[in-house]
Formats: sequence, structure tokens, C-alpha cells
Amino acid sequence: MRRRLAIASLTRRRARSLLAVLGVAVSGALLLDMVMLAGGMRDSFRQLLLVRGFQLRVAPKGTLPFDTQATIGQASEITATLRTNPDIVVVSPILGLKLHALKSNVTTVAIGMDGSVQADYELLSGSPVGARDRIVANQAFLDAAHTRVGDTIDVVAGYDTQLRTYTGRRRMAIVGLGRFFYTAAGESVIAVPLATLQAMGGPATADRVSLFMAKVRDGVDPDAVRQWIEQKLPRVSALSTGSALQQFDQRMGYFRQLAVILGSISLGVGFLLVTTLVTVSVNERIGEIAVMRAIGVSRHHVVEQIVLEGVALALAGTILGMGLGLITARAFNAILADFPGLPAAFQFFVFRPRDAYAAMSMLAAAGVLAGIYPAWRAASLPVADTLHGEAIA
Amino acid sequence: MSRFVAIALTLAVAHIGSAQQTIAIDERLAAVAHLHIGDRVLLSSEPGGVRGDTFVVAAITRRGADPSEVARNAYRVRLHLGDLQRLLGAGDKVSRFAVASSNAPRTLAAINDVAFGFRAYPSAEIAVRTSKTFRVLRRFHWAIGVITIVASAIFLLCILLLKVDERRRDIAALRLMGVSRASVITMVVCEAALISLVGTGLGAIVGWIGSAIINWHYQGVYQTPLTFSLVTPGIIAFATVLSIVLGIGAGIAAATKLVRRPPLALLGR
Repeated sequence: MRRRLAIASLTRRRARSLLAVLGVAVSGALLLDMVMLAGGMRDSFRQLLLVRGFQLRVAPKGTLPFDTQATIGQASEITATLRTNPDIVVVSPILGLKLHALKSNVTTVAIGMDGSVQADYELLSGSPVGARDRIVANQAFLDAAHTRVGDTIDVVAGYDTQLRTYTGRRRMAIVGLGRFFYTAAGESVIAVPLATLQAMGGPATADRVSLFMAKVRDGVDPDAVRQWIEQKLPRVSALSTGSALQQFDQRMGYFRQLAVILGSISLGVGFLLVTTLVTVSVNERIGEIAVMRAIGVSRHHVVEQIVLEGVALALAGTILGMGLGLITARAFNAILADFPGLPAAFQFFVFRPRDAYAAMSMLAAAGVLAGIYPAWRAASLPVADTLHGEAIA
Repeated sequence: MSRFVAIALTLAVAHIGSAQQTIAIDERLAAVAHLHIGDRVLLSSEPGGVRGDTFVVAAITRRGADPSEVARNAYRVRLHLGDLQRLLGAGDKVSRFAVASSNAPRTLAAINDVAFGFRAYPSAEIAVRTSKTFRVLRRFHWAIGVITIVASAIFLLCILLLKVDERRRDIAALRLMGVSRASVITMVVCEAALISLVGTGLGAIVGWIGSAIINWHYQGVYQTPLTFSLVTPGIIAFATVLSIVLGIGAGIAAATKLVRRPPLALLGR
């Protein structure tokens, strides 16, 4: 009965109700997007860090991985030290260097790594980095250098564009096509055996790496191992997934704050819209409500009916808003995909069912709250005076 | 994360030797490392400062309003070119030259004619090439702005429709007194436009206060004089025009609908 009365009241002014539902839908869409942005971005970064299960990164003291050109010396000694810890099951030393493909005149990022680990990439076809001069490239490099898997290319390190000199030159066979996890969209990358890349860089890269990635045994706290590393190796900074996320929060805090501000505004707009509409609707039906009260309908019944109206408006808008929010999130992601320096796999807006539930719950709660004031006002009407006033009007 | 971005300089307060070489550091670094003018520091291109050199802090600088450095939160040390080249073992190499010219296009063409292994760019082009982050953010803000405008427009339309609808009895009375439909519509539209105008004025004040809070907050967070939010006359003009147009539209729609109905029907008879 209450439900039918609430629906009848909303359908009496269809255009107005439709406009309110539309307003709540747009607010709901923005709210969902902002909830997705606030949590999804962090989740996406976390997933990227753990894509190969490496919970620790070891970078030159005071720096973040690949944030500067600084490298760590005596890499083999550090690798050996790290392997002495029984809690560390895999260590992957990685060196980043720019290489220049001579024939195609393409400069690319080269990642020197232990061929048996593949910490930085996923092999899509062909063979992994293995023997001395066998490399894996991504599609962007193959396109830029006009090569394909199976081709052989001449690459140089430390290339001086003015003097055309270099520190090391190799003829390398492209043996595989890979997808690199940490490179930006369109950035060309090749994976090269670490020893080869160190040798090509000359004395500046001899036995040096940009970072170590380490996998910790299951059940072991990565932060405890991180502390052990920093104690044992004073020349490096170790970063666990948790501390990396803290750094990430600091750098990308802007987006989280924006999400909180815009999310609150959209929730506020939705709340105000429903409150206004239900209040006006109640004001218009004062006589009707007084008659209901006069024929014995309880206050409780009146309150429920009016709160139901608010909830119905909020729910209808929310359901529409969820669909709209997913569409706009995709558009936002497409815009932010061009954000420079971020890995192509990184997503700003990630849909998680709990985000949808959170947004829906907030809007539903706003709907309930929006109905409470007009409902209380309607329920506390002086019945006789109101009927008298309505009769005179 | 961006790779190969900058040379890392590690810094340690030194208490050894007499230094002649001077550096300038930014005030954030001075505050964090408790450095003052005249302090001696050991700078090294490698973490740990094994192969470094001692410098005297000769100046403390304030960070410029450079948007490209905002999120990085990096510290900045300025060295004399020769000192940095020596410290890095970079020989007689530089990353780039900045050239001031009274005839930029001619200078640019002249340099590029003789350039071998390098290229000259006008500053404006470099600004465009290096500001991709902000172009992306600008597009993102525009997209969010469009959604916000749609939400606000619907809200405004809804409120004005309700406001006009609330006046049905007054309108009925006016019509019964012989006031013409056109006069009623004009009155309602004027009222809606006035409400929109007053609302925009209040909104502009709230926006201006919000903008001041945003600037105060982010300038503190990132320790930069950069202006993050600007309320320009163009933005206020856009908001005013949009709300007045919406107000007038809502007023016309609601008033036309009401004056079409017989006055007694509006009174519920």
C-alpha cells in the first residue's frame, strides 16, 4: 500500500520525477567514477607491482626505482648477499640503458635482466632472453625499427649523435615478442641479457644495475626483509609493496583528493535534489496528507510513504547512474591513458563491485536522509488546522 | 614511472677540508637537511658519496612556479657548470643550450642549418612538448567539468521548474484579474532569470573561496608558488550566461505550461 502510494505520488508529476532521476543519475555516475578513481588507481598500481610476485625493489640509496640515472655498483656482490637470506627466494638484478639501433636509427630503452627470471615482461611469442645476444622486443620497437621476430639488428650503447661514437656495439637476434609491464604506451623497449648490456655500457655500467627485484618466501613479512636489506646494505634503499604504495599516494595524492572532493559534491547535489523534490511534493499534498491523517492513517505510515518516495528517486537514479558511470569511467581512462611516464597497463578507473556497492549505498542513504525532513514535517502537521486552511484556499 | 629522468646527486653534510666551490640549494632542501648559508656539504653523483666533492652553500633559492616539477617533489641543487661536469665525469658535455636572440626565427634557422647531431627548438615548442602531463590533465578536467555542468544544469532546471510550479495559485489569481498571458510569462521569466543571477553571484563567491582554499592547500602540500585554481572573468561569464539561459529556459517552459491551463483548473476547481 505504502509502496503503491509512493509510486503514485511520483508518477503524478512524471516530468519532474524524471528530471530528478536524471539529476541523481548524473550525480551517481560522477560519484561512482570518483569512488573508482580513489581506490582503483591504487589497486591498479599494486597489481602492477605484484604482477610477477616480486614484493621488494632495491634501488640506489635515496632514490625510487628508475626515477633517476643512478645505478648500484658491485651488483654481483649485492646479489650474492641478498641470496644469503633464506627468506628471499628469487633475486632479479635489472639495468636500464638507452640503446640505439643503427640501421633504423631508433633509440630504445633496454632492460638488462637475468634471462631465467623475466621479471619485467611477459613473453607473447618466440623464446625468452637467454644466450648472450638474444633479445626480446615489444611491438612498439618492432614497428619503429621495421623489424620482426627472427631478424638480426645492430645496436650500440652510449651513442653520441654528434661524433657517431659509442661505448659498445652488438649484433643481436630478436628471438621473442614481449609485453613489458612498466613501460608507457608506445614506448619501445627491448630486454637484453644483463651481462651483455653491462658490457655494452663500458666501465660506467660494469657490474652495475639500476635495481634489484626480490621475491620473498610465502608467509614472510616483506617489510622485515626490507629492513634486513637496508641494515645489511647501506648503499641501497629497499622498497616493499606497502612503502611503494605510500610513495605512490604521495605523488598521485592529487587524484585521490580530487576524487574525495568531487565525490562529496556529487553526493551533496544528489541529496539536495531529492530533498527539494520530496519537500515540494509534500508541500503540494499537505491537504491530502491531512485527510489521510484525519481518516486514521498513522504518522508512521505517512513517514514511511514519504521516505519511500526519496529512496525510490535515489534508487532509480543510482541504477541509471551506475551504467552511466561505467561509460564515463571508460572515457576518463581513455583520456588519462596518455598520461606521460605511467605504464600502459596502469588504470586510473578500475571497476570493483565493492565500489559500485559503496556508491549505491551512499546514494540510497542520501535518499533516506533526503526523505526524513519532509516526512517529519508532514507527519507533524496539525490535522484540523491544515484541513481548515485547505478548505478556505 | 618515467625512466632516465635526472641525475641523482646525493648530499651529505661534510665537516672536512676547505671548500671553494659554491652551490645554491632550494629552501625545501635547506629546511629538510637543516642547511644554512656557509655550510659545507659533500656532493656525489653516487649514493653513499664515495667519490664526491665538497661545496659551500652560497645561496638558498625559492622554487619557481614550474608545473612540471610539482608532483615529483624533488630537491634541487644548482652548481656551476664546470663543477657539475667534473663531478659527473661528463667532460665538456652539456644537456642543452639556452639562447636569447633578438630574431628568434632567423637564429633558429641558422643553428639548424649548421647543426650536426643536435637540433634547436623555439622555447614555445619545448613548452608544448614538455607539457603533455598538463594537456592530459586539462582534457580530464574538461571532461569532469562537462559532467558537473550537466548535473548542475539538471539541478538548476529542476529547482526553477519547481519554483515556478509553486506559483500556480498566484498565476491563476493574476489571470483571473485579467493580466495577459504574455505578462505572466514575462514576469515568471524575469523572476527565474533574477534567481539564476543571484544564485550565480553566490556561486561565484563560493567558487572564489573554494579556489583560494585549493591554492592554499596545494601550495602548502607541494611547497610551490604555483596557482592551481583560477577564477577568471571568462569562467564567471560562462557560469552566468549558462545559468541565466537555463533559468530563462526553465521559466519559459514552466510558465507556458501554466498559462495554457484555465485559471480555475490551476486553483483546483
